[in-house]
Amino acid sequence: MARVVVLGAGIAGHTSAAFLRKWLGKDNDVVVISPQPTYNWIPSNIWVGVGLMKKEAVVFPLAPIYERRQIDFLQAKAVALWPEGTPEGGAKPKVEVEYTGQGKDGRREFVEYDFLINATGPKLNFAATPGLGPEGNSHSVCTADHAASTSTAFLESVERMKKGERQRFAVGVGHGGCTCEGAAFEYVVNLEFELRSRGVRDKADITFITNEYELGDFGVDGLNIKMGGYVSPSKIFTESLFAERGIDFVTRAHVRSVDPGATHIETLDGTRMEIPFDFAMLLPPFTGVGLKAFDATGADITDRLFAPNGFMKVDADYAKKPYEEWTPADWPRVYQSPAYPNLFAAGIAFAPPHPISKVRTNDEGLMISPAPPRTGMPSAVIGKTVARNIVRLIRGEDKPLYTASMAEMGAACVASAGANPFSGTAASMTMFPIIPDYQKYPQYGRDLNSTFGEIGLAGHWIKILLHHMFLYKAKMKPGWSLIPE
Amino acid sequence: MNKPSHLQAPRPTRWTLFWRTFLPWQLWRFLVINLKMLRMMRLEKKHGHKRR
Repeated sequence: MARVVVLGAGIAGHTSAAFLRKWLGKDNDVVVISPQPTYNWIPSNIWVGVGLMKKEAVVFPLAPIYERRQIDFLQAKAVALWPEGTPEGGAKPKVEVEYTGQGKDGRREFVEYDFLINATGPKLNFAATPGLGPEGNSHSVCTADHAASTSTAFLESVERMKKGERQRFAVGVGHGGCTCEGAAFEYVVNLEFELRSRGVRDKADITFITNEYELGDFGVDGLNIKMGGYVSPSKIFTESLFAERGIDFVTRAHVRSVDPGATHIETLDGTRMEIPFDFAMLLPPFTGVGLKAFDATGADITDRLFAPNGFMKVDADYAKKPYEEWTPADWPRVYQSPAYPNLFAAGIAFAPPHPISKVRTNDEGLMISPAPPRTGMPSAVIGKTVARNIVRLIRGEDKPLYTASMAEMGAACVASAGANPFSGTAASMTMFPIIPDYQKYPQYGRDLNSTFGEIGLAGHWIKILLHHMFLYKAKMKPGWSLIPE
Repeated sequence: MNKPSHLQAPRPTRWTLFWRTFLPWQLWRFLVINLKMLRMMRLEKKHGHKRR
């Protein structure tokens, strides 16, 4: 009998736990530890943030589903890993947790494990930029609660515009080192569509703020797509959409601070500017959640298990090298900790070897370029693969057999650009592979037959379909495992 | 700051905008995009997730 503990119940953690339960016999335990009592289908937070969907449509409680599927659930946050056991509690590996619910708030305990998957996701590091975030002067759609309060503020702005007032909207990323530029892009085009739908577009000035070197980088070094008989960079695709929608933008930008009513920005070339706003939705940079690690004697071994940014080191090549020397082989394949073979990371929690987009810094050495995205589809695929490998290890294999390198994996991104079943549109994009491979695909780094983008109503229908399909899957209803990641 | 009026980016014609929401065409594109996504997933299975 083995016990597998999954830290986190986001896309990666929940997928891992669901497949572990499906594949492991009932004599093995699957334990999920998450500080939140609910699952959040984060891609649809965009619609919550513009008032098109209620928060309740994108979240559901985890406990009843886990109870039905015989997955143990602890509403707690992981505090520290003890992979060699504790000085007082014996040599069995443990994770130290602090409850955040279930009537045990604040209580700490040790949970033993045979295998552990770290799928904690990121810490939303609003503190990196003074004034950034819901506690400060801007909004976010990173959680369902954030999106709900963003919606309230957005609808207040709409009401002001209906009374004839002009409103300025600043949307984008709130730090030079952010990821999730795709989500910010999706939010700004949805916001613009909603303003048009509500008949107030003429009273709005919209500015998109991004750390991308060019629009359409999306943290994946941009992509080339077949479009209208040409192979065009995603910069053209994105700039065209912004030009069509009348959205101003600032690229290569680091947000230095967010004051009430104004963001202060510095661009890569040192230019400083102020962008005034009445409403701002700026996504935060991510770090690891700050898990500590200790050996059997209680000595701190956090730096052995985690990179300085708090994400967990896995089987990647972390040697520092210039952009020109990055290769697909740098990226992890099985997401196993090199320090402890029964430790794995999935989703955002693993430390990437380096970004995908070229790193650029300003004169002061501040990085102003996107961090690598690893949310959504890649997170789920990695979570499932890690689960499959753990099942095999429990059954006696001596090493992980299945791989899920982002250099051998594609991603589909359907970015809603207006939610209406007849007049809405979405930008549907796929790429293969996520990490460009210039040896296999010398000209563009990706397979052009599987890397495409187009804008249309069909994309919106797909987005709706994905919303319902993935919530159905996450609720582990009959046939859930047949739905692809 | 870059202003849309200063952009060299191509803008869609009225014809392009029409096709983007023209139901019969979009039903076809719905099918095509789904097939493209399935093709991508097949490639993924071919290249990744394999036994070492």
